Amino acid sequence: MRRFFYNLGYFIKESGKIIKLNLLSNIFTVIGTGLILFLLGIVIAGTDIGSRLVTMLNEEAEINGYFTKDVTTDKMQSIAEEIGRMDGVRSTRIVGEEEAKQRMEEILGEEASILELFTDNPFEAFVEIRIDVEAMDAVLDSVKDTEGIEYVRDNREVLEKIKDITYALKILGYLMTAAVGITTLIILSHMIRQGIYNNRDQINTLKLLGSPGVFIGFPYVLTGVILTVLGGIIAAAAVVWLINGAYDSMGGTLLFIPLPPRKELIDMMALWLPGISLVLGLFGSLFGLSSIREKS
Amino acid sequence: MIEFKEVSLIYPDKTQALYDVNLCIGQGELVYITGPSGAGKTSMLKLIMGMEIPTVGSVSVFDKKVRHSGTRTIRRIRRKIGPVFQEFKLIKGRTSLENVIMGMRFLKITPKQMKLQAHEALEKVGLAHKKYSKVENLSWGEAQRVAIARAVARKPSLILADEPTGNLDYDNAVNILELLKSFRNDNTTVIITTHATHLIKDEKDATFIRINNGRVTAERGWTE
Repeated sequence: MRRFFYNLGYFIKESGKIIKLNLLSNIFTVIGTGLILFLLGIVIAGTDIGSRLVTMLNEEAEINGYFTKDVTTDKMQSIAEEIGRMDGVRSTRIVGEEEAKQRMEEILGEEASILELFTDNPFEAFVEIRIDVEAMDAVLDSVKDTEGIEYVRDNREVLEKIKDITYALKILGYLMTAAVGITTLIILSHMIRQGIYNNRDQINTLKLLGSPGVFIGFPYVLTGVILTVLGGIIAAAAVVWLINGAYDSMGGTLLFIPLPPRKELIDMMALWLPGISLVLGLFGSLFGLSSIREKS
Repeated sequence: MIEFKEVSLIYPDKTQALYDVNLCIGQGELVYITGPSGAGKTSMLKLIMGMEIPTVGSVSVFDKKVRHSGTRTIRRIRRKIGPVFQEFKLIKGRTSLENVIMGMRFLKITPKQMKLQAHEALEKVGLAHKKYSKVENLSWGEAQRVAIARAVARKPSLILADEPTGNLDYDNAVNILELLKSFRNDNTTVIITTHATHLIKDEKDATFIRINNGRVTAERGWTE
């Protein structure tokens, strides 16, 4: 171990020499790595936006519970609190008769004058329950069984659709990240392997001189890490530039999709891409090194 | 120090390089392995270096058996050997000095000692003035001397030189043989393979191993 640290300066110098000796090829490796990681960055950003959309859709899932006739205003409040404590319920809110009427007026728009035909407000107070779609069935059963609740408007069809969409978006996000991640690892390790292969004569000579594997391999692993981290920094810079451009042109919103705060997304990319490139560079180099291992 | 016991070597393409070779080389010996091209000389050196494993029989170097599973042992053995390869195997893009030092970095010697030994070795082979020259800019003979300097700078117990006279004219070939012989001492064995037997003078204290078609035909005695 002492010898390893003592040779650390040599390993760094050696990595510099390995890069310099095949400078053009290594420049292309950095550019290639940068492009692949740029794609990975876009997929990660897309997945992040997708997961926010999933959360938003989830939060929009709601059911309404209508009270029995004998329930007083105080009792409504305690029923709402009781429902609020149930598993799978995000929040509850009492919507009074007046608010219910106002909502209908907003929905009807110009046709709202039809409501003037009623002398009394025909709308009832109800409890608006925001739920976790995953727990939809259990929540519906519990709310229906709650004392003081006469019936539940469940919007089952809409909720089922939200559930399907969120599930599909989640799976799509995971699949895309996994596919691009694996492709990135394979391409990177292949590029690093190619670099190591270009230096196979040196590796074999060192083996014949009795050099330990760590001594031979470390400069190549270090070179692989340096090249991929450089690629990661380029990719991060490109993704940040793209995010800034996109936010400037869209003003921070994209139709109904809630975009994450610009700084949050930029920070994530600036941290994640070089970090991912470091890990990929390390594994790619080790994989590349092991795949060209010949007999001693 | 080196022992071949009933060694046969068959390459994967079924070419049989050695047949039932038995020999023993002691510490501090000067050994010439002679024979025509393709006789099996390089195969013998490969077995000593652990680059090949005997198909039949056993090879021991520094009292350690060379086996398939013994990568660490083989590397330990190699650290005690100073090899001069037929094609030199110098690392391109590096200077003579860097090439010599490269062969010592992983040995248990201090950086100061390493540099001192490298400079001494280059001086011994007459290339002190070319220590900062890139090896690809050296002549054939100079490159060979760098390879010799890399081998001897490690202060090995065994120097192996594979056909060191191969591409040299008579005078240079004799000089190289003299240079290699000069590194032999009580602690250092020198093994030289060559097909150019006319270059070797009758040396009483040297061991001669003649090999032909993979079979050792004469040992110890000068038969030319």
